Amino acid sequence: MLLKLAWKNVWRNQLRSGIMVAAMVFGLLGLILMVGFVKAMTDNMLENAIKYQTAHLQIHNPDFLVNEELGAWLPRADDTARAIRVMTGVEGVTVRHVVDGMLASAASARGVRINGIIVADEAVVTSLGNSLVEGNMLSEKGRNPILVSRRSAGKLNLRIKSKVVLTFSDLEGKMSGAAFRVCGFFNTPSSGFDEGNVYVRRADLMGYTGLAQSHEIAVRLENGNLINTFKSSMEAIAGGSGIVQDWGEIQPVLAALKGTMTISNTIIIGVFVLALGFGIINIMLMSVFERTREFGMLMAVGMTGGRVLKLVILESLMLGGVGSLVGLAASSLMIAVTGRIGLPFGRMAEGLGAFGVDAVLYPEVSLSTYLGTLAMLLVTSVLAALYPARQILKKRLSDALTEKH
Amino acid sequence: MTITMEGLTKTYNPDTDFPVTAVNDVTLKVEQGEFMAVMGPSGSGKTTLLNMLGGIDRPCEGKVIIDDIELTGLTDKELISFRRDNIGFIFQDFSLLPVLTAKENVEFVMQLQGRTRDACEERAKELLDMVGLSDRSNNAPGKLSGGQQQRVAVARALAPKPKFVLADEPTASLDAQSTYGLLEIMWQLNRKEGTTFIFSTHDPRVIESAKRVIVFEDGRVAEDRRQ
Repeated sequence: MLLKLAWKNVWRNQLRSGIMVAAMVFGLLGLILMVGFVKAMTDNMLENAIKYQTAHLQIHNPDFLVNEELGAWLPRADDTARAIRVMTGVEGVTVRHVVDGMLASAASARGVRINGIIVADEAVVTSLGNSLVEGNMLSEKGRNPILVSRRSAGKLNLRIKSKVVLTFSDLEGKMSGAAFRVCGFFNTPSSGFDEGNVYVRRADLMGYTGLAQSHEIAVRLENGNLINTFKSSMEAIAGGSGIVQDWGEIQPVLAALKGTMTISNTIIIGVFVLALGFGIINIMLMSVFERTREFGMLMAVGMTGGRVLKLVILESLMLGGVGSLVGLAASSLMIAVTGRIGLPFGRMAEGLGAFGVDAVLYPEVSLSTYLGTLAMLLVTSVLAALYPARQILKKRLSDALTEKH
Repeated sequence: MTITMEGLTKTYNPDTDFPVTAVNDVTLKVEQGEFMAVMGPSGSGKTTLLNMLGGIDRPCEGKVIIDDIELTGLTDKELISFRRDNIGFIFQDFSLLPVLTAKENVEFVMQLQGRTRDACEERAKELLDMVGLSDRSNNAPGKLSGGQQQRVAVARALAPKPKFVLADEPTASLDAQSTYGLLEIMWQLNRKEGTTFIFSTHDPRVIESAKRVIVFEDGRVAEDRRQ
């Protein structure tokens, strides 16, 4: 009977309870969309960074990490790469010859990182091939092909087959350079990465730098969650001459972002739930104060304080429960739809590109987030009932029975 | 069943400059089967007296003894149990739960006693039949007239099989016809079942029907007559 009474009391003032439920539903829609958006953005940023830039793991000469000089090459890089490639769970390995230099066209010049790559290996490790938007990928054919980003092409006024000059310091510290011909434009989600990188064939670059060694091994794993296991194995293979870093060590800002995402989402949900709690307290206070005489009657005919508390808690829980369940159901539907069709950012996409984020995001919210939010809302609903119940219980029974509202 | 009041006194705001003594040194005895009206002008202390009799309020001085139990000596928790099992209450404004039906209103009080659902249903049916509302048992109070609501309240008051019923101005919200109907029901219950009724009222119709009338003035018993 107490359950029935509580349920009917909740809907006694349908407008008031309806407004509260509507507030919870719309609030949850906004909250869950925001949480889904933040998660999608963070995941996308990480995914893109791993896909286009860092891969899962990289190995360098320790000196290279301090100063990316040509002389800080990685001993036995090709042998190490071969040993890693045969490990089960490794999807691909690529070895790069890297040098900082200048990319110059007839119109302008800019500083870039010149990546000398083995085309077939690079295709397995990074998504460079997928990011090609015009022209052709580097191939073994032709003399000195170079792949530049569309953004750099725009700034240097380049077209396919344009001639550019790369200049850099050779092993002896003398300025060296060569002419390359643009074979294609790539475009990754990160504008910063695009403007700072060009790709040429490793053999070509080795010829101009005068160094037949490589500086970087990038490894892509089949399962990104097993990084730590592979990292220790690769450290053993690389010996003391190479330092193995995972993507988090290479891009500490992204690692920190991933770490704080859960915390920030929890804080956002917590603040929302707290605000909602005050809303429920307000509604429950109104509800119990206008029924003071009724509570007086219930206590007069033998309802204990504990049962009165239980009744108020049940009412609050039912109100909060309905709002939470309807709100989370509507939110999950919204996430399912937006997660499928995506949220396009239109003009904002250019700005987000600076952070390596795609122009369309697909919000995603985990089941644990839904359940966690529901649990927080239900607990808050219970807590929100305590103050209104106390206000009723502390009244003298004779006063409660004569209360006018 | 005997109710004994010994030197009952109730003073509101006792520690202030303006203490108000609502009931002043009242000594009374009520026997089983009485049909007693407490009358007096507004503010004379009728409701306060009934509240102390019903364990709703505690006296500042004096005792209320029901059979062998001294009400004033019970803890709050014991008092709740005592009220639930021994006293029936009828309020001026009916005080029915508007979200429950007439039958559920009657059952609810018995459920507080921990009776089984079947027992509650059976007794509620019997009581609503007794007050002539068996055909309205599934109506919400809002769908009943004032007189019908007060009859439900009578049924509710009798549901826990109380030792006596306290009714605070039970006819104040009723028209003449409903008042006579209600009085008839309570009279029959008093005569047939021996239920003790104690009213506070200034309704002359209720006073006329009472076997005993206590006239209250300024918190004191000014007259105690049997009729």
